[in-house]
Amino acid sequence: MSDESGAVAIEAQGACRYYTMGEASVHAVEDVSFTIARGEFAALLGPSGSGKSTLLNLLAGLDRLSAGRIVVDGRDLSAMDSEALARYRRHTVGMVFQSFNLVPTMTLADNIELPLRFAETPRAERHDRVLELLTNVGLAHRANHKPTELSGGEQQRGAIARALANRPSVLLADEPTGNLDSRNGQEVMSLLRELNEKVGVTVLMVTHDPLLAERYARKSLHMADGRLVSTVEAVR
Amino acid sequence: MNRQDLFELAARNMRNARLRNALTTMGIAVGVASLVAMLSLGIGLQSFANHQLMKSGMFQTVFVSSRQDIRNMDENADAKPEESPALNDDARSRIAALPGVEEVAPEVRATAEVVYGDKTNFTMLAGLPQSARDEDAVEKVNGRFFSSPNASEVLLQRDFAKKLDKNPESVLGKTLTVRYAQRQSGEDTGSFSIERQEKQFVIVGLLDEEPFGGMRMISRARVFLPTQTAESMNLMQPADTQQLVRSTPGARTYTMLTVRMKSAAYAEKVEESVKKMNYAAYSYLDATKSMRRFFAVLDMFLGIFGSLALAVASLAIVNTLVMAVLERRREIGIMKALGASDIDVKKLFFAEAATMGLVGGALGVALGWVIGRAINFGTNIYLHKIMKMPTENLWTVPLWLVAGAIGFSVLVSVLAGIYPAARAAKLDPVQALRYE
Repeated sequence: MSDESGAVAIEAQGACRYYTMGEASVHAVEDVSFTIARGEFAALLGPSGSGKSTLLNLLAGLDRLSAGRIVVDGRDLSAMDSEALARYRRHTVGMVFQSFNLVPTMTLADNIELPLRFAETPRAERHDRVLELLTNVGLAHRANHKPTELSGGEQQRGAIARALANRPSVLLADEPTGNLDSRNGQEVMSLLRELNEKVGVTVLMVTHDPLLAERYARKSLHMADGRLVSTVEAVR
Repeated sequence: MNRQDLFELAARNMRNARLRNALTTMGIAVGVASLVAMLSLGIGLQSFANHQLMKSGMFQTVFVSSRQDIRNMDENADAKPEESPALNDDARSRIAALPGVEEVAPEVRATAEVVYGDKTNFTMLAGLPQSARDEDAVEKVNGRFFSSPNASEVLLQRDFAKKLDKNPESVLGKTLTVRYAQRQSGEDTGSFSIERQEKQFVIVGLLDEEPFGGMRMISRARVFLPTQTAESMNLMQPADTQQLVRSTPGARTYTMLTVRMKSAAYAEKVEESVKKMNYAAYSYLDATKSMRRFFAVLDMFLGIFGSLALAVASLAIVNTLVMAVLERRREIGIMKALGASDIDVKKLFFAEAATMGLVGGALGVALGWVIGRAINFGTNIYLHKIMKMPTENLWTVPLWLVAGAIGFSVLVSVLAGIYPAARAAKLDPVQALRYE
């Protein structure tokens, strides 16, 4: 992506997200500030209900801030209308989910083509692009299979390929190994690291597993009760 | 998202819920079919009625009679019959001089005996004006029309010709003899005598249908001769006896004159002028005006009844799409996470609604056409076998109706898609993607 925003990929300043549940106001994310450098592999840690998924949704442009500011790749999300946020999700970030979220009625290739359709990529380029993405994750031979015909690891690798279809600068992963056994989990983590190193995509991964964070991430953000409690930079 | 992708995705979604979408689409098809069936019946009946009137030449014709006559058709109560002048030769030439008038002819009818070979038939004779050939008044002449306005030639109704010969075509070119009553003027103006006369005619043609669509008095005759010939024969007319007993005897008068205009545009003016001359005049213009109004109302009612089924079908579309939104919550969430905008999602559901409308509309037009053909077929069997009438096309599906019905179907479907599409578009992706 462009270099105009310098070395910072993600910047959050006093980010807040409040919900009202009946009378009560829930502070899911409270005054969170951090920066993640371009090309970083970062982990967002914390127990269930600590607000890490909410923060990730805010970064993904799926949810809106109640207060504060989030700037990704030089774009201020709080200033965007819903059309602009859709464009942001399309081009700037890629999302990977715990439950893969492949469209079950579509083949793997069709799933990967979906973001290319939204981005109005010319038809002539799409086939090659899909094949390239599938080859990168080692699933070229599975192109015409439906998600139900694939293993969990294959589904998640397919979902990663789909997240990268429009060459985003940031990849957001919500518990990417949460539904996988350890061997498939290892494979997916290796793939994320490989993409981070080779393609240079910034990765922010939500996990509740400190070991996983320690092993793969160079930077770990710890959350509890909606607040950022500590930031750990690994020394390599 | 561009249009091609939109419709590809829409088609894919519809294939995934094949049965449900097929049923909804059939519902639309039935709705459109009923609309098409109703409207094309209305249009068909209207053009059938118009055609019959055109055939009768009535749009270009004004009927003139004296108000003294018993057959006074003018219902103007203010006009006093006794002030109306006699409809005589002088009046005839004055009417003929009016602008736009092409021909003024009396309706000549008489009973006569027709002798053909050894067969003798008592039947009705009538004069057929030369102008009958120029319009649709005489359809399907087997043989030919009169060679001149005063030729000694006759046209026969086919049914009558069958009485003369088992093979009616064989009478063409043969001669028949007509015995008739001739009026001869007496010594003083009030009286006349009647003599039996004979005249020979060449049969030049057979008529399959009654002239003027069966709508004039002369249509019922079996033997037709040129009006001029009929006039020169001084045929004894039923009205002659009326005239004899009247208190003001005089020269011969006509019961009725048929005034034919160069075009229907003159009819109103001529009718007015004739009324100013204090004769009773009648044209079918007024009658057709109310007929047109009748058909407009009929079409409207048929359209409303036809649309009811389509309205029901549109509720089925709403139902199907709302179901689809609920079912595809997660998929919509995924699409939004991958960068689909609210408008993209909305358009996708509109595309699905429009596809159902288009396919349903096309199927409906086809179905409506088949239903129409079936009704037409059944009606014609009835007309032909039971009523012994010629077959008629009561069924017209014009191209504008086909295009209009499909367009209307798409429009109704897209309108039905507004609510589901809005619901899908405002779906919160965070909620939709939350683990179940």
